[in-house]
Amino acid sequence: MSATSRTLLARAANLSAVVLLVFGPFILYPLGGLFLLSVRTKSGMSIDPYLRFFSDPTSLEVIHTTLAIVLASAAVATVVGVALAALLFYLPFRGSTMLVRLMELFVAFPSFLVAFTLIFLYGTQGSVNVFLVHTFRLSHAPIDFLYGFGGIVFAEVIYYTPFVVRPTLTALTLIDERVVEAARSLGASPALVARRVILPMALPGIVAGSILCFLFIMNEFGILLVLGSAKLITLPLSIYSAATVDLDLQAAATQAAVMLVASLSVFVVYRRVTRAGTRSHARG
Amino acid sequence: MARRRALALAGLRFLTGAVCLWLFAVPGLVVIVSAFASDWVATVLPTSFTLRWFEHFDATDVNAMLTSFEVAGMVATLGTILGLWLAISLNPLEGRRLGGLLDAVIMVPNSVPSVVLGLAVLLAYHAPPLDISGSWAIVVLVQTALVLPFCYRMCAAALKQEIPVFREAAAGLGAPPAMVLRRVILPLLEPAIRASVALAFAFSIGDLGATLMVYPPGFATVPIVVIEDVERGFYYRASALALILLVLSLASLVLVAGRGRRAKVAAVAMER
Repeated sequence: MSATSRTLLARAANLSAVVLLVFGPFILYPLGGLFLLSVRTKSGMSIDPYLRFFSDPTSLEVIHTTLAIVLASAAVATVVGVALAALLFYLPFRGSTMLVRLMELFVAFPSFLVAFTLIFLYGTQGSVNVFLVHTFRLSHAPIDFLYGFGGIVFAEVIYYTPFVVRPTLTALTLIDERVVEAARSLGASPALVARRVILPMALPGIVAGSILCFLFIMNEFGILLVLGSAKLITLPLSIYSAATVDLDLQAAATQAAVMLVASLSVFVVYRRVTRAGTRSHARG
Repeated sequence: MARRRALALAGLRFLTGAVCLWLFAVPGLVVIVSAFASDWVATVLPTSFTLRWFEHFDATDVNAMLTSFEVAGMVATLGTILGLWLAISLNPLEGRRLGGLLDAVIMVPNSVPSVVLGLAVLLAYHAPPLDISGSWAIVVLVQTALVLPFCYRMCAAALKQEIPVFREAAAGLGAPPAMVLRRVILPLLEPAIRASVALAFAFSIGDLGATLMVYPPGFATVPIVVIEDVERGFYYRASALALILLVLSLASLVLVAGRGRRAKVAAVAMER
């Protein structure tokens, strides 16, 4: 046997071992089992659990809530994130790199803690309300948005904006300064340069950050656990309560399978977008 | 005119800084302040401070801290070893269809909700052939799956950037694969390995959803106890525990990952 074919054989054996010992037990076996359990009913294999899920008004309400929270939060996080990234990049000041570091540290900050800290600040007994009541001699707390749509979106925006800022900053750094200079020397106004030169070149990074942000907000659990209520239940929260409160594992598995398909679809879109970005970048 | 413009720009800079601090610094500050506040109700800021909340940790809290620390240690070690193995095994498939597919599958645990991953692991390992639902092993397993994408990414990125030339040179000089691995690849990957350990530790210690789904009685981690305290209204105790959690995960990022790697850690965690 030649040396190359021995290397190839060793490589194939190693790859099989990787699939068997890592991919199998950690990813494929558990997630595959989820689908199996969701279609296994007393009367054999059936897609009834899915039909029941999609015809249940409660689950449609859950899907609606999830979508509303995700769309609102991801949109606000994208706008705020792009604006902050552009300001930090084009108007740097002493300490602005520190602020970017600070944002990066958010990866080590669990999301549920962000939601929790908001209670001290914006709860009905929180600092901001106490300040307003004292200053303007009000009879009751003027700010009361925390345990509802507004509070959840606020927490999601705080936690996920850095996920837009980072890739946008990276995209802005990669823009060729000479192109911007050329546009400016040809008489383009700053607004025109921003709209026609910088934005199109930074767009792949912005879109990537925005989609990732969308995916993570869709998957978010901790923030909802702290600030959600019986009226605002998203899919991850509903899966959790089906499994631990109702102890209905089949319903939980069905919802989890639906969630899995939704998340993986967004993930596939994200891969497509970022892959296309790196390819065109390599070509240019 | 020029002065007005300079003033406007200074104003914008100030606004940027203020918004960043308001959004991203205040949450951390609130945890610190409330953990040491003796009372923070009906006042804008606490009026007096205390160490009471740290002194009153009970057996549940201490147990949670020990569990979190041990589990995170195991998850960081196991996740990094597996991530390294994955990165080295998949590296030759770079650019091929199979390589792209496997690369995408590794990222799946981080692309689905943590509760979905937790439920899947619970259902898969709570009955024969393998029932580990009553032991700490299931917590380590689910969290390892959760951090695997980051560990793999960290090592794969380093392999792609720095290694091929050295590896080919060593192999060309007749070094056997095991020697190339030990003497060339691992030393060059050291920064990536440290970053992987740090990030896995931080993620493991902060995970709520996956752990909440699978943890057996007696193995509640710090985030779970914090959430229970929040739900019962024990806010200061929750803050004190949360502060310990934050200090641990920040310490791992700063001490283990080291100065130069932090940007890399953020890039892998936030951009993929």
